[in-house]
Amino acid sequence: MSKLQLITKGIVKENPTFALILGMCPTLGVTSSAINGMGMGVATMAVLIMSNMVISMIKNIVPDKVRIPVFIVVIASFVTIIEMLMKAYVPALYASLGVFIPLIVVNCIILGRAEAFASKNGLVDSALDGIGIGLGFTLSLTAIGAMREILGAGSIFGFSFAPGVMPLLFILAPGGFFALGYLMVLFNKVAKR
Amino acid sequence: MKSTLKNMVLVLFSITAIAALLVGLVNNLTKSTIAETEQRNKDLAKLEVLPEFEGEPQLEEKCREIGDFKVNVTIVSADDKVVGYAVEAPSITRGGYGDRIYLMVGFVEEGDNTLISGVKVISQKETPGLGANMTNKGNSLELSVVGKNPTELKFAVKKDGGSFDALTGSTISSRAYANAIETAYAGYLWAKGELPSLEDAKSGATKEHDEAKTNDEPEAQKGELSNE
Amino acid sequence: MVETNISKEVIQGFVDGTISVEAITLFAVVIGAIFVNNVVLSQFLGICPFLGVSSKVDTSLGMGMAVTFVMALSSIVTWALQRYILVPFGIEYMQTIVFILVIAALVQMVEIVLKKVSPSLYQALGIFLPLITTNCAVLGVAIIAVQKDFDLLTSVIYSVSIAIGFAIALVLFAGIRERLETEDVPQAMRGVPIALITAGLLAMAFMGFANVVQLP
Repeated sequence: MSKLQLITKGIVKENPTFALILGMCPTLGVTSSAINGMGMGVATMAVLIMSNMVISMIKNIVPDKVRIPVFIVVIASFVTIIEMLMKAYVPALYASLGVFIPLIVVNCIILGRAEAFASKNGLVDSALDGIGIGLGFTLSLTAIGAMREILGAGSIFGFSFAPGVMPLLFILAPGGFFALGYLMVLFNKVAKR
Repeated sequence: MKSTLKNMVLVLFSITAIAALLVGLVNNLTKSTIAETEQRNKDLAKLEVLPEFEGEPQLEEKCREIGDFKVNVTIVSADDKVVGYAVEAPSITRGGYGDRIYLMVGFVEEGDNTLISGVKVISQKETPGLGANMTNKGNSLELSVVGKNPTELKFAVKKDGGSFDALTGSTISSRAYANAIETAYAGYLWAKGELPSLEDAKSGATKEHDEAKTNDEPEAQKGELSNE
Repeated sequence: MVETNISKEVIQGFVDGTISVEAITLFAVVIGAIFVNNVVLSQFLGICPFLGVSSKVDTSLGMGMAVTFVMALSSIVTWALQRYILVPFGIEYMQTIVFILVIAALVQMVEIVLKKVSPSLYQALGIFLPLITTNCAVLGVAIIAVQKDFDLLTSVIYSVSIAIGFAIALVLFAGIRERLETEDVPQAMRGVPIALITAGLLAMAFMGFANVVQLP
């Protein structure tokens, strides 16, 4: 696989949300608006790139049986560190994303990529894989967030065009399932050709 | 790599130790910056919730600890004249959907009347897109209180017979918001030494307001009673 | 003195520095956790096993029981860790790391103990146990329970109720999916998409429980 392919594969072929169906909890939980989806995507991407790199570096010294706990510790540490750094240096961003950050730990995409890719590949490839999958995740989350925001609140990226007339259902829990379900149908129809 | 008990324990232990060390290090590095940022945000919020004024602001702080919570009252004055009161208060008796909601509420006095001059959310962990909308400018909760006289407010959402327009789909968050405003108002009165006595208070935040009582009993008489 | 609508509870706070909040009834905790804030259908935790192991009613019952077991244990352990280690030593920032490690270790231990002590129970629950480490509901609930500042009993009851809510959602969903198997679903909607849309309808049904009890 070429270096470029490593980055682009996450967008369609190995799209974490629509093709691999990983990380459903944050996907549904935070996508009540486009900007939230995007923020979560970017934060996840940052953790994913770093954890992929570290795991690919330590892969040869980690015994198989404690593999998963070690990976989890690495991921949880990065999440905690990123949370603290954001709180200190970009408080405005932290204020809007704060609640989601600890949720990154339980995102199975990160553990999944550690298992499936970083523990078998080199440093550079693992970093690129992190970028690619992270990019795909960010795009999917932004799309779901945009759909829910347009249909539920009548606005997009905070710009309101039809306030108060849209069905609130799309912002609420059921709307999350519907939006993801129908976007997946669309993805299957268009991308899997 | 093959797993033996020795290398499993060794690797797991050392990785955890390194991770703990790193996280602790970053925590120490960022702790003071985080505290400074939070303090700066609060200081800014204090001025934001009050109307604009000229001159160098002088701040006088009063703090009341209630259980694990703190209500901070800042009396802001300029040129020896009190501009207003900025009260930072949590929703003490009612949690939101996520956690307690902390608000900065500004009170100004115009003649005999007190008005709420502004509200800013200091911290909240409500659902994004629903309860978290309380941080938006001009949301229905903010509009229910800003510019209003707090003596006339009933600290509950309209559904419970109060005077707060709840955020769509977020009754729980809205109730907590109303409770934080109530706490802030109590804090303001406390700082001025005008807090009503327990006997005068209504029990239960959502209890129907007793119309007859306010109409029939003159203010002065009430005052005498509670001063005894 | 001004006439206000400030409630007794708030004034009492300022007068003597204590808050007398109406104690949350355990009943409200249970109903709230099972129905009103159903972990899967309204909190979006544990979606992966919800979609993954919900094609048969039998397996979803097994998964539900395994999750209940682990959640009950982990709520006790994480509660004790938070109260007696993280807070006294001032290292609350290590919470995520400590909790997830404890849960992973706990799942492994339960698996080993179960295998030795009760092979029949292990037969029934064994295959689900490794899946639970990656069930974000377990960590999520541990963190929420700590945030809400419950005492030990409430914390355990809360966690078990959450797990029962998870099991109920899973079994209901499996029942629907078993019937969907035989239906003629459009090609592009087969599998996960139709499952998600079904879950959305189920979530709408659960929204009917909103405001049934005063939530903790």
